[in-house]
Amino acid sequence: MNKKELIEGLLTILSVDQINTNEDDLYDASADRYKKYAKARKVLDVPMPIAIVYPNSAEVVSKLLMFCNEHLINVIARGGKTATEGGLENWKELTIVIDAENLNEIIKIDAYNMQATAQAGVRLQELEDELRKIGYTTGHSPQSKPVAKMGGLVATRSIGQFSTLYGGIEDMVVGLECVFPDGHISRIKNVSRRAGGPDIRHIAIGNEGTLCYITEVTVKIFKYFPENHKFYGYLIKDVDTGIKILREVMVNGYRPSVARTYSEEDAKQHFYHFHKDKCVLIFMAEGNKEIVEATCRGIEHAVEQFKEGILEYVDSKHIESWFNHLNWSQKDIDDEFEGMLEKDYHAGFTTEISADWETIPKIYHSVIERVRNEFARAEDLTMLGGHSSHSYINGTNMYFVYNYNINCDPEDEMRIYHHPLQTIIVEETLKFGGSMCHHHGIGKFRNEWTKEEHGSAYYMLEKLKEAFDPKGIMNFGTIFFQEEGVKYQK
Amino acid sequence: MNIICLVKFVPDVDNFMYDYDRNVLVRENVKMILNPDDAAALAFALKVKDRHPSTFIEVVSMAPKSIIGQLEDLLRRNVDKATLISDKNYVGSDTYITSKILAKYLKAKSFDCILTGTHALDGDTSHVPAQLGELLSLAQLSNVIKIDESKFDGTQAVVDVDREKVISSYRVGLPAILSVQKESKYKLPHIKFKNLNLNVSANMTIVSNSDLNFDVNEVGIEGSLTKVSRTYPKKMEKKEHIVVNNDDEGIEVVYQFLKSKGYV
Repeated sequence: MNKKELIEGLLTILSVDQINTNEDDLYDASADRYKKYAKARKVLDVPMPIAIVYPNSAEVVSKLLMFCNEHLINVIARGGKTATEGGLENWKELTIVIDAENLNEIIKIDAYNMQATAQAGVRLQELEDELRKIGYTTGHSPQSKPVAKMGGLVATRSIGQFSTLYGGIEDMVVGLECVFPDGHISRIKNVSRRAGGPDIRHIAIGNEGTLCYITEVTVKIFKYFPENHKFYGYLIKDVDTGIKILREVMVNGYRPSVARTYSEEDAKQHFYHFHKDKCVLIFMAEGNKEIVEATCRGIEHAVEQFKEGILEYVDSKHIESWFNHLNWSQKDIDDEFEGMLEKDYHAGFTTEISADWETIPKIYHSVIERVRNEFARAEDLTMLGGHSSHSYINGTNMYFVYNYNINCDPEDEMRIYHHPLQTIIVEETLKFGGSMCHHHGIGKFRNEWTKEEHGSAYYMLEKLKEAFDPKGIMNFGTIFFQEEGVKYQK
Repeated sequence: MNIICLVKFVPDVDNFMYDYDRNVLVRENVKMILNPDDAAALAFALKVKDRHPSTFIEVVSMAPKSIIGQLEDLLRRNVDKATLISDKNYVGSDTYITSKILAKYLKAKSFDCILTGTHALDGDTSHVPAQLGELLSLAQLSNVIKIDESKFDGTQAVVDVDREKVISSYRVGLPAILSVQKESKYKLPHIKFKNLNLNVSANMTIVSNSDLNFDVNEVGIEGSLTKVSRTYPKKMEKKEHIVVNNDDEGIEVVYQFLKSKGYV
């Protein structure tokens, strides 16, 4: 099938205004935020998709997938375009992007049963705004909240900044609707809990568009008590102290919505007004009054246990001010894009991993040491640090953050800077038994380690791919390593 | 066209850390960089080669052998040949002796133009290009901020020269020595990813005194007659550091600061 035949085929399913072949839009659809610098400089090295299409129902998605499956056309599922790991990058000449823009309806907000149903293309912010009007929240607040869409959040196993209380998206999804490459539409019903065999929600949650296309999701909702918010901040001796205090809070059963510890370097860029070149520990408690009071006592008690590591108390209004400026909007993304046209500088690149309490400090120190000693462009690093921002009863995450001056051509940036840094982080994490991807997904640039990440359980992942996408038309190169894609990686 | 670029690697003095308590420069871990004016000159040469691939570029540097790695990185940027003039007897040579050593090497070469920087970050005397012009009987122009690429044909160069208050244009017959300033904005290209580890050793030549045959008393400290009468450290002032909150009061402080500096 050639490009012309593909467009003709699409026209048998969609109207003309549901098919976008604008050159600029196709260029934009060629890659995601992973290659944002090269994209801004117009030097992307990947093929453009043939079209972006905008179906308006699960039935139309079904027809599109059947058509693509029959003619071996690669399909990239797209929501709010905030992917950071190459999940939206295109590696095939014959590709269409199925954009959820027209799946934009909030279907039902059910406050009695504490759940809300929305189509895949509904922005999280839109759902959150509707819920706030009646005193509720989704509890989900990734930095991308104003831009990200429900389908994408579920497909990538997103996590929000208040996850320590509310959980990740996988804890919130009650049921969903998704479409498979053979056109089958599955609806997973909304129930409080069941033991009806394996939890099949998890075939769709986090599939990154490699198994199915999510068209609708139902998520839990929570009562919102902003008047009860409490904030705590501390300057602390080191990252290890911060991790120990986070653990103390969590293992005693408390669930602050925010529980974070920052290295000196990372604290400097987040808390310029009070960091004093020290590590920072912050908490936020939210919920009903009694729970907030108990959580506050738990935080204070944990801090007291490790008081030798506390250097200074921070005025809670500083933490509240930080809390009020958490999200980035479309304007921030656009401004960043403009900045990359002018500056040879990359700020805020991250790789996020997770492990148990005992292992996280080992990974952190090991990574920092290896980067300083082995990374060929260490002298270009203007910042290297990290923070833990999502904690669980048995462990936490580590968000490695690095900024650098770019002393290479834009098309070489990822190969010379980010990928070698990410390689060190992933290798150290896997060596110590952690997970290489806490919440960004595998995308296309960590697929070389997917097998190692899952070990003997990779068998299950591979069988899912074989069963649901036997022709391999769903998001070629994402999650699953492809030899053909190496030229875009290395 | 054959272009020779004279380059020098210098301490990155623009990015020195300053210890305000002890009032001294922190010299630990200071890296050597290609002198910015020389980098601009080489960048122009590479621009010419980019448009006219038959252009042959040779970089010449008088330096210790420790800079071989940095010269190799210039070769990986599409420079054809690198020549390192290095000999223990040349250590401590003043600008005049340096010019004599370079001139002896250059006299034996065939070229259409010598491109180099006007100032060096470390010494900043600007002696060498002019002295070379004298020794090689070539016209020499300093403070070049633009070379008209369309007229740069191996027989002539049309250049803009920054004369502080005015910019003058000159037409000069080639071969000549053009000393470029970093204000020209000619930017050295990066090494391509595929060439990062390219083996370029075959294009590197090391020239020593056994090739140039100077009497050892003529060169180095012994041969250098320049006497430094006085040196003094540049005075550095610690800038006031104000931290404000992201609120109306903080915004007002920033606004008033910018206003006092004439930015708003």
